[in-house]
Amino acid sequence: MKKIIIQGAITILLFFGTWFALTQIDWVEVFKVQKVTDKTEQKLGELFWGVFKKTEKENKNIHAVNSIDSIVTHICRSNKIDRETIKVHVLNKDEINAFALPNGHLIIYSGLIHNSDNQEELTGVICHEIAHIELNHVMKKLIKEIGLSVLISMTTGNGGAEIIKETAKMLSSSAFDRNLEKEADIKAVDYLTTAKVNPEPFANFLYKLSDKEHEATKFLTWISTHPDSKERAEYIIEYSKDKLTDYKPILTNETWEKLKEELKD
Amino acid sequence: MIQIKKFRYEPGEHEAETASSSYLMSLIAIIVGLPLPIVNLIATLIFYLGNRKSTYFVRWHCTQALLSQLSMLFINSYGFWWTVSIIFTDETITSNYIAYIIAAIIFNLTEFISTIYTAIQTRKGIHVEWWFYGTLTNIICKSKS
Repeated sequence: MKKIIIQGAITILLFFGTWFALTQIDWVEVFKVQKVTDKTEQKLGELFWGVFKKTEKENKNIHAVNSIDSIVTHICRSNKIDRETIKVHVLNKDEINAFALPNGHLIIYSGLIHNSDNQEELTGVICHEIAHIELNHVMKKLIKEIGLSVLISMTTGNGGAEIIKETAKMLSSSAFDRNLEKEADIKAVDYLTTAKVNPEPFANFLYKLSDKEHEATKFLTWISTHPDSKERAEYIIEYSKDKLTDYKPILTNETWEKLKEELKD
Repeated sequence: MIQIKKFRYEPGEHEAETASSSYLMSLIAIIVGLPLPIVNLIATLIFYLGNRKSTYFVRWHCTQALLSQLSMLFINSYGFWWTVSIIFTDETITSNYIAYIIAAIIFNLTEFISTIYTAIQTRKGIHVEWWFYGTLTNIICKSKS
């Protein structure tokens, strides 16, 4: 009986040993899995951004672009994110919305900037979207919603314009699943505190917008697509409780006011 | 890993053929059941149940064939569902996954070759005992006499 237990244990160990030994090799690199995925993502990013570029008007105002760029650069630098990977675009639209596309395209509607009471609120939303990008949520969602084969066929030009348009619309107007949203919220708080930005206004922003009385309710895409705002605000507050409190604004007050002023026109 | 041992008695021609078939059964089932790892287990199980009342030599080899399939079932099922989750959920291909699949292929291949070898040997009436499975079979499968 003892012999069989030893032999059984050796057999099991042998299997896990083989597995473990094989994990020491970076197979993803060997089989160029990443390269294929990266290329697909890059193409998809271009395709979807193309859709928005065609249908919406991009804001080219130098002051606005520079201000948003300062915020993103500050967040990236503090959190050791490669700034080059995040491509920010500000679009002129009244909707309060911001969303991420594949390959690091981050779209911000002017309505969001306009309706943020202070820069920390806007920075919070930007951090939340950067978290989605950094955690690879965008590709995960796309693969889950429409499948890898359809995605690859899009990049090879067999997708059809209508499907690409619909998918782009889906990315801008629907949330990720609950767990991914929470993950992005928590990561956003991390980004904010490392960048010395107070995360509380981000939570307040969610509170404020979940309030139905708010004047801008009809434009509230970001909130209506991100359910349970109150609950989210609560766990953001809870999570950021024991973080440091030495916060500094990224933009000066004048720059922030000027940004809002510029977007009014 | 594989040992040739002397069986308690000299098996007859018919016995050797049936015992050999129990291994062939699993080989054919591997080909049919490749996408669904449970098929080869069911095939050997049916063969095992059909030969429960057969002679000792046949029973012994049916049991060994069944047991070897059982452990492959765990390895392959895990790999199978891992693959399914990559295709249909948000799991992605990792080095860990590829390493697992390669390990599973190595073990399946070893098992496959051993099975062919054993099928040939038992057909000749030669008794072959596998490492671990042979010992286990000796405990489970007892001679009636």
